[in-house]
Amino acid sequence: MSNFAMEWYLIAIIVFTGFYCMLASRSIVRQLIGLEIVSKGAMLAVISAGALTGNLVFAQALVLTMIVIEVVVVAAGLALLVKNFRVHGSADIWKLDGLKG
Amino acid sequence: MTTHNLLFVLAAVFALWAVMAKKLLTSAIMLALVSVAVSLIFFDFSAPWAGVFELSVCAGLITVLFIGAVSLIRADEDKRPENRAFAYALPLAAAVFAIAAWFYLPPFFEELAAGRQMAAGGGTIGTALWGLRRPDLLGQVLMLAAGVFVIKSVFPRRTENK
Amino acid sequence: MDKGLLAYLLIPLLSAVIIPFAARNRPKLADILANVTLLAGLANLAWLALRPSIIRGEFADIPGDGFSLLLVAAVYLVALCVTFFSAWFIEEGLPNRSAYYSLILVSVSAMCGVVTTTDFFTLYVFIEVLAVTSFALITTDESGAGLEGALKYFFLTFPASALIIIGIAVMLMSLGSLSFESLRFFMASDLPAGPVTFGAALMLLGFIIKAGVVPFHTWAPDAYQGAYAPVSAHLAGIVTKVSGVYAIIKMATLLRFFDGRAQALSEMLMFLGLLSIAVGALAALKQTNLKRMLAFSSISQVGYIVLAAGLGTPLAIMGAIFHLINHATFKTVLFLNSASVEKSAGTTDMDKLGGLEHTMPWTSWTSIVALLSTAGVPPLSGFWSKLIIILALWEAGLKGYAVLALLFSIVTLAYFMMMQKKVFFGKKTPAAESSPEVCAPLLAPVVLMSGLIVALGLLFPYFYVYVKMVAERILL
Repeated sequence: MSNFAMEWYLIAIIVFTGFYCMLASRSIVRQLIGLEIVSKGAMLAVISAGALTGNLVFAQALVLTMIVIEVVVVAAGLALLVKNFRVHGSADIWKLDGLKG
Repeated sequence: MTTHNLLFVLAAVFALWAVMAKKLLTSAIMLALVSVAVSLIFFDFSAPWAGVFELSVCAGLITVLFIGAVSLIRADEDKRPENRAFAYALPLAAAVFAIAAWFYLPPFFEELAAGRQMAAGGGTIGTALWGLRRPDLLGQVLMLAAGVFVIKSVFPRRTENK
Repeated sequence: MDKGLLAYLLIPLLSAVIIPFAARNRPKLADILANVTLLAGLANLAWLALRPSIIRGEFADIPGDGFSLLLVAAVYLVALCVTFFSAWFIEEGLPNRSAYYSLILVSVSAMCGVVTTTDFFTLYVFIEVLAVTSFALITTDESGAGLEGALKYFFLTFPASALIIIGIAVMLMSLGSLSFESLRFFMASDLPAGPVTFGAALMLLGFIIKAGVVPFHTWAPDAYQGAYAPVSAHLAGIVTKVSGVYAIIKMATLLRFFDGRAQALSEMLMFLGLLSIAVGALAALKQTNLKRMLAFSSISQVGYIVLAAGLGTPLAIMGAIFHLINHATFKTVLFLNSASVEKSAGTTDMDKLGGLEHTMPWTSWTSIVALLSTAGVPPLSGFWSKLIIILALWEAGLKGYAVLALLFSIVTLAYFMMMQKKVFFGKKTPAAESSPEVCAPLLAPVVLMSGLIVALGLLFPYFYVYVKMVAERILL
């Protein structure tokens, strides 16, 4: 098996772990952690693709932008979490069932 | 190249640990370790800029943010412990996925790699960012502005209410 | 990136940054600045596209592909309606007033970035900005429902972004570049399309989640219902359409669905489109909350656009573009009217409302115009777009899809008639007794939009020429 296929196989496991966490966990913090793991996997995929095609500089430029985006997304997600904790008094996603239909 | 794959395995193990950890604080620290492993992978790919940013921003700043938020809601975590069944099921699920994927995914990825288009590459990160990805820089500026306004909007200064 | 339209991105950003400083002591200044910025942009756009010489020349002098320009105009129009409405709607003491306007302006510039870019990664960056601003906007009034909607939106939209990024990684590998043009050339060539189609499929999946197409629609009703009232118009009218549906149409043209490349993707998109038409319309029949019903109706209308985009023939792409614009007009009217009802009667529960046509005649009549347009009643604009979509389906030999699309447009009429009967007609309920018509400035945006719906329907030949020009340019 080539190196690339091995890398992407392991990336697939990391992404699976992240999605599993987002689907299974009830805690909003843990869901955010799952999201982070998924996006780490996505970054690895970009760099690995860049390395395979001799386009590493370009891939690094993409990853730098992704890191900036990730910081803002996580900060905003945590802000929502803290706000939700203040309003509802809980960090449990399944407690959020006020809207139905 | 074994160190290379070993680092990937390490990242996957830390990711599993982050999901399974009982305390949220441990989870946050394990997430930082995932970031460290990822940044080592970047260095190993000879992508130093991405590695440095990953190490300082993701392993540093994001971990600080996570630990801050976790300590704010810690009281709730102790009061209402989460059902842990999903965490104990994770190694099993991951193992099933890994074994099933072992037969299907690598040949598929080999096929993907066979259809690759080599690029010219070259240049420095500065010229790549400024020359090729200038709209992204504009997007980054917009993103940072959006971040500031999001925080301002979610936590407004209450002068007249209190 | 389209240089000619860059100003439409930079100026709102600039005024978004100025607003917090300017409005520190005079909160009203925030309203004025936001409205003036958007109005100036709109006037400029009208000058660019609606000069008599341009109309006589059948829009041949429009810069770029015309599609960007049309969508920038729609973005500015909806955002102007929303900010103008908000200026009278927001309570005096709302602490995050200036941040609210700044966020709307940042989302306007992000949307302009989305529609003018020519690169997949830049598209992703601007869509992320848009997502971040929209969930902060949803929680503007700090209610529990808003937070709930925002969190649900958050946890569906960012995994979708991760899928898009993995798709981009595959594209980077098997295309060597991320520009739209390279994908178009690749699909026009005879190279095996397998890996590229896989990357495109991952990206399309991400965009489908962001557009709220069934079966990934669960976030949409919660987000629209929980959102701060004018924000739900902004969100349903333009934000999710630009962040998801626009990208789907763009991908459909780049993947050259019309000459049979990526057949499987095309069929999948059409099936999901029809599924969301059906599920959205049937779910809307059962709703008791006005805003939630409008949200399901929005899912159903997005289904028409996705169905047409999946078909991908020039006629279908024209229908998709036209329906996208129409959707922006009529959903803005309906959601802004629901905001008026909420302000006046204090509830959007349809069981508690009734007989509002006597006390709120303007709101009632503009709603009727918008809902008839949604249901596709001639001569309003919605009729033409649905007609084009159904004709395109019939022409492509997909008679079953055409008949079902027609059938569900009758269901659309049914649930809207039910809504109109429950909310505006019939006997006055206690809640309706004490609900006066909202003030004139709150009515101005909906009257303007209703006028636009009628005008687009009556001046259809001109608009047809424009959309035809767009479809020709983006498909060649």
